[in-house]
This record gives sequence, structure tokens and C-alpha cells, in this order.
Amino acid sequence: MPRRKPSQQRRPQRHKDVLHGSGRHRGHDFRCVGCRLDVPLDAPGTAHRNHCPTCLTSLHVDHRVPGDRASDCHGRMEALSLAVRPDGEWMIIHQCLSCDELSANRIAGDDNALALIRLALRPLQDGRVAHGALLTAL
Amino acid sequence: MSSNNTGPQHTTAHHVLSTETFTCIRCGLTVPALAPDGPRRNHCPSCLHSRHVLDHVEGGASTCGSRMSPISIAVLRTGDWMLIHRCVGCDELTSNPVCRDDNQLILMRMAVRPLAEPPFPLEAFGSL
Repeated sequence: MPRRKPSQQRRPQRHKDVLHGSGRHRGHDFRCVGCRLDVPLDAPGTAHRNHCPTCLTSLHVDHRVPGDRASDCHGRMEALSLAVRPDGEWMIIHQCLSCDELSANRIAGDDNALALIRLALRPLQDGRVAHGALLTAL
Repeated sequence: MSSNNTGPQHTTAHHVLSTETFTCIRCGLTVPALAPDGPRRNHCPSCLHSRHVLDHVEGGASTCGSRMSPISIAVLRTGDWMLIHRCVGCDELTSNPVCRDDNQLILMRMAVRPLAEPPFPLEAFGSL
């Protein structure tokens, strides 16, 4: 599906100068900690793939700057929610299961659409808030 | 996370009548620091914006002090909503529980925002 607003100039993605490129073991792929899938680093639509396209699980390796590999945690990060940028890009908010740190990453073109929709619909599963906001407050 | 004079003496029991307030950094509303259902507030109930005064990565106070805008709704296993804030100045993310008197329309708008601009056609899900 083509990008919906091709006229808008997007900020170029940050240059990536870390990891994987040196031809070591697992130079061009990583294995998901959630579902053990071998994930290639080349992703359609993004140069910074950090989560598994099937189960959306990530690993806590970066500290403050994306790609700095400075975190000592290495815990599993699970997709917590979806945020939307002003230009309409979806971002996955990950939360580390061992230290509760949050991080955001753009979705890739091959991410599991069903998992993304389940994540997007999670706030609406429980009707209490929707009922309170839309039926009783007005 | 939002009031300027956070101190250990203010986290005492709630039976003490607290008249402490803070001013919202975005809309200027004067907000009581304690929510009606007990805990301390850290965001404005009207526009849901907060202020970056606690460093969640390193711990302790933050030197940033910028505005934090709400970007997303997360749901706990208990069904409670958490509000994800992002600092405008340094891009740090925090999550805070939703108060009972928070602006419900802004909350709902954020909850359905992903569905307004899906990156793939949603028609395919009709046949699942």
C-alpha cells in the first residue's frame, strides 16, 4: 500500500553505525526472544528494526539513545500500546518486563497486522471508560 | 512528576487536608495536587499534559523540566488505563495511571487515534 501523504517531506532516519555490520556471529539477523523466529535485519519501511515482526517482542539493549547498546538489562520488552505520530505513523511502545523501562519504535512494513490491530483495540476492550466518556458525560 | 515542590513530607497520610496546587505548564489551569480518589496527580486533568521533573531511567530528579505530552493509552492486566507521556525536550517516555476526573474525551480520542489512520487497509479483517 503506498504511503498516504507522499507530498510531505519526512525527516530522514538517523544513520545507524552500531552492531551487526561487522560480520560477526548473527551479523545480519537476530533471533526473537519471544517466538525464536530468525528475523533478518532488512525490513521494509524502516532501517531500525528492533522487534520481531510476528510477536512484536523486543530486547532491552539500548539505554537512552536508540542504537547505543549501552543498557545492562537485556530483559524482554513486550509491546504495551500503540502511539500515533502527528504525521500518522504508528509507533509501538515497548515496556521492559524486568526493569519497566519504556521505549518507542516505528512499525515496519512486515509487522503482523493482526497483532497490531489487537494492540490498537486493547483500550476499547473494556467498555467502562467508553461508556463513561461517550454516554454519561454528554 | 508535575508539581514543582515534590517532597517527602507531602507523601504522608491523606487524612491531612491538602490544599497544595500546581499550575499546568500547558493550559495554565490551577490543579489540586491530590486527586479526589487519593493519590498524587502528575498531569493536568484538563489537557493531560505533565512536566518532566523525575528521571525514570537514572532515578531521582530530572534536569529537563520540559512539558510532557500524552501520546498513548496502555492497558494493564487489571483493565486499568495508563497514560503514556513523552517529554517534548528529551523524548523520555513515562507511564502514569489515569485519574478518575481526567478529561474523558481526550482519553477516548487517544484510544481510537490509531484506528483513524491505519497503515494498512482494515477491510481484510472483515473476512477473518
